[in-house]
Amino acid sequence: MSGVADITIANFMLIYLLLLIVLGVMKVCNISQTNLLFMASLRMTIQLIIAGFVLMFIFKNPNPIFTMAYIIAMIAFATHRVISKNKWLNKSFRWAIFGTMSLSGLSVLAFFLLTIVHQNVFNPQYAIPLSGMIFGNAMTGLNLGLKTFHENMGSERLQIETLLNFGAEPKQILLPFVNRALETALLPTLNSMVGMGIVALPGMMTGQILSGTLPTTAILYQIAMMIVICTVLCLSVFGSLYLGYKTLYNDRAQIMF
Amino acid sequence: MNVKIKAENLCAFSTIRYTNFTIPAEKIVFLNGPSGCGKSTLLKIINGRLIPSAGQVLLDNQDIVTLNPITLRRRVVLAEQSVYLFRGTISGNFRRFRQYRETTAVSQEQCQVLMDICSIPFTQEESCDAMSGGERQRIFLAIALSMAPEVLLLDEPTSAMDSALAHTVMGNLIQYCRSHHITMVIISHDLELSNTYADEIIRLEGKV
Repeated sequence: MSGVADITIANFMLIYLLLLIVLGVMKVCNISQTNLLFMASLRMTIQLIIAGFVLMFIFKNPNPIFTMAYIIAMIAFATHRVISKNKWLNKSFRWAIFGTMSLSGLSVLAFFLLTIVHQNVFNPQYAIPLSGMIFGNAMTGLNLGLKTFHENMGSERLQIETLLNFGAEPKQILLPFVNRALETALLPTLNSMVGMGIVALPGMMTGQILSGTLPTTAILYQIAMMIVICTVLCLSVFGSLYLGYKTLYNDRAQIMF
Repeated sequence: MNVKIKAENLCAFSTIRYTNFTIPAEKIVFLNGPSGCGKSTLLKIINGRLIPSAGQVLLDNQDIVTLNPITLRRRVVLAEQSVYLFRGTISGNFRRFRQYRETTAVSQEQCQVLMDICSIPFTQEESCDAMSGGERQRIFLAIALSMAPEVLLLDEPTSAMDSALAHTVMGNLIQYCRSHHITMVIISHDLELSNTYADEIIRLEGKV
């Protein structure tokens, strides 16, 4: 198998023509988000160019500090995205999210690098792209889990208040909401695992095959990564909600919505 | 006469000021007053769901803020005006509410007694999902009664019932509570009900 074919900048620019098709469809359908299309494309391009140069620098000058700094920046960005999409979170709940996402993501990443692929945990070629997948998916799962948790609490407010009036413990009342949110957050990942290899070849595997890796090796990485993602997502959502829901009531057993 | 509940210099949200009052043990006390005077808020304060902005409530001469809030709410059960029932059968609802309270289920016989008190003309395995507002309200009251509180706070307990049924249910409830030494505090807009059944009526003004 050969390595991935080089793309010249001139050829690369042609890919933006495809966005004209998207723009055309949006115009025809009166979708008023054309600005977002431009913004999203521009941001993606600039962010990835910066990421490409930064990664080139880090790969040429491998240093644990650079690797950790990159990963910490990813965690900070993921946490920021989760918090900005869930404005109802109190300060302790936010720390719970940051803590559990960091701890679960980093420990499962270390387990994967040390025991499965036998690489140094600070090897940027492995640690950085894998962290991106891990924390990106954890962020999506957390957003979904927290949104579900908050919406269910809002729609079941009468149930919560009635149970409080009857003397139920806040913990007893809120735990079912934690469990339901965790289930909702896990389902998309589990469903994608069901369809994987049949409906679609996942991005990581596609990338590896394009760059010349044998498909039999690529699938091992893909399977391992899917299990890593599922585990981190489960631990992040469960940990965040389990620690976080306890911050929603006070010592007088009053629940803050 | 034993005093069960005593309120002193009580304020809520810094905007509602209550006159001092006492509620005698094992008596039936009705609260009335104009809309917005803080009747429902008062029941939430007595049950520990809300903390007053000033003043105190004593339960058996103990300030309720010194009591464990869960213990307080198990002693002083509040059935609000809005009815909540889980999806499923009547017996399933009795079971689930008690599970949340971590107490053993009521026996079928006890469940039937409570259903009869609340004039519920169904079997225990009937689903609550398609029942009318009045039927659901009566099941809710029966469940509140099954919690065996020392004080039962009821906010408009018969609002979804017609007058005749309201009298029957209220009469039965009061008879049951008297025989089980339960103090009742009831908010009702129905003056006829309060005049018929109240041992005492407390008029709230809700001064600002």
